[in-house]
Amino acid sequence: MADVLAEGYNVFDTSKSPSGTIKYLASPADVIGLIQSGKLQEHILLVRGGTTTFLAPALSMGAIGVITMSGAPESHLGILSREFQTPCVMTAHLTGSDSRYVVGNTDEAHFVEIAKELDGKRVRLDCTDHEVGRVVADD
Amino acid sequence: MTATVLDKTDYDVLNVVALKKMASAPTIAEQSGLAEDDVETVLTGLVDQGLVVVAAGSALPTDAAEPALAAAAAHYYAQVRTDAGVVDLVERFETVNAQFLTTMSSWQQVDVGGRKVANDHSDSAYDDKVIGRLDKLVARLGPLLDALAGHDARFGAYPRRFAAAVRGIDEGRHELVSSPTQDSLHNVWFEFHEDLLRTLGRERTE
Repeated sequence: MADVLAEGYNVFDTSKSPSGTIKYLASPADVIGLIQSGKLQEHILLVRGGTTTFLAPALSMGAIGVITMSGAPESHLGILSREFQTPCVMTAHLTGSDSRYVVGNTDEAHFVEIAKELDGKRVRLDCTDHEVGRVVADD
Repeated sequence: MTATVLDKTDYDVLNVVALKKMASAPTIAEQSGLAEDDVETVLTGLVDQGLVVVAAGSALPTDAAEPALAAAAAHYYAQVRTDAGVVDLVERFETVNAQFLTTMSSWQQVDVGGRKVANDHSDSAYDDKVIGRLDKLVARLGPLLDALAGHDARFGAYPRRFAAAVRGIDEGRHELVSSPTQDSLHNVWFEFHEDLLRTLGRERTE
């Protein structure tokens, strides 16, 4: 069985199971750089929040999958991912860590740990469950 | 970073780019009310200032755009921020915004036996009910939009855009509810929310 590296809210059920290398996007410049690289569809995009509005161009340009470290499926990004039918796991936490996102009470180390652990990993998103979205190692 | 406050025309153009995340000159012209040639000139200046890059035929904001907009908004909207009428209406907006997001999700997904599944839009009575709720929520923005337009006429564009989307939906163009590629209710609402936060110097909450 493949390792589940992280899991969070599944924004919508889908049999689409995109795979790619996780790329952590910290700023609009990262999104622009990725779009300009022509390699957008090789990556599962990892962003910090459901309110990370700078991700919109990547979604409209054909991003294949998204992971967020905070935010709810009802947020703007959740709504967009359903519209674009881009599989999306929100408020993902590492299965190997006890650290969890809590609204208004999450220290920086939580986000750093997730980005450090996942960035660059080859994964597949499993969004078939109606509640839990999974980030699975895809070696 | 720019040391000086953005010129207001630069602000208006950069604000459209930042709200839309990527925008072509014709779109910026339509939203800002400027002539397309003027938009091109402004965009060239913004590129020179490092606030915008052009990729795939559209302008995108750089990392420097948000701080520059924030500094300019603090300058241009100092009066708005102390307008007790606006502040009071904004407090109420947060509740309406949460209801709007939930309602928009219920347009996209329906609850079947406790499980959310994609709305296939085969139940017109359900869809009509959701559209009715969205109509009412948009109407509740009226006083806030009017108050803001009293400070800056560009806020007057939002009621026109909402009205155009509602008219289209009433004519059966249901993609104008939530399509991310059209001037849908969701897009207009989202842009207004972000514009409002920037105007007031507030942060978005999760």
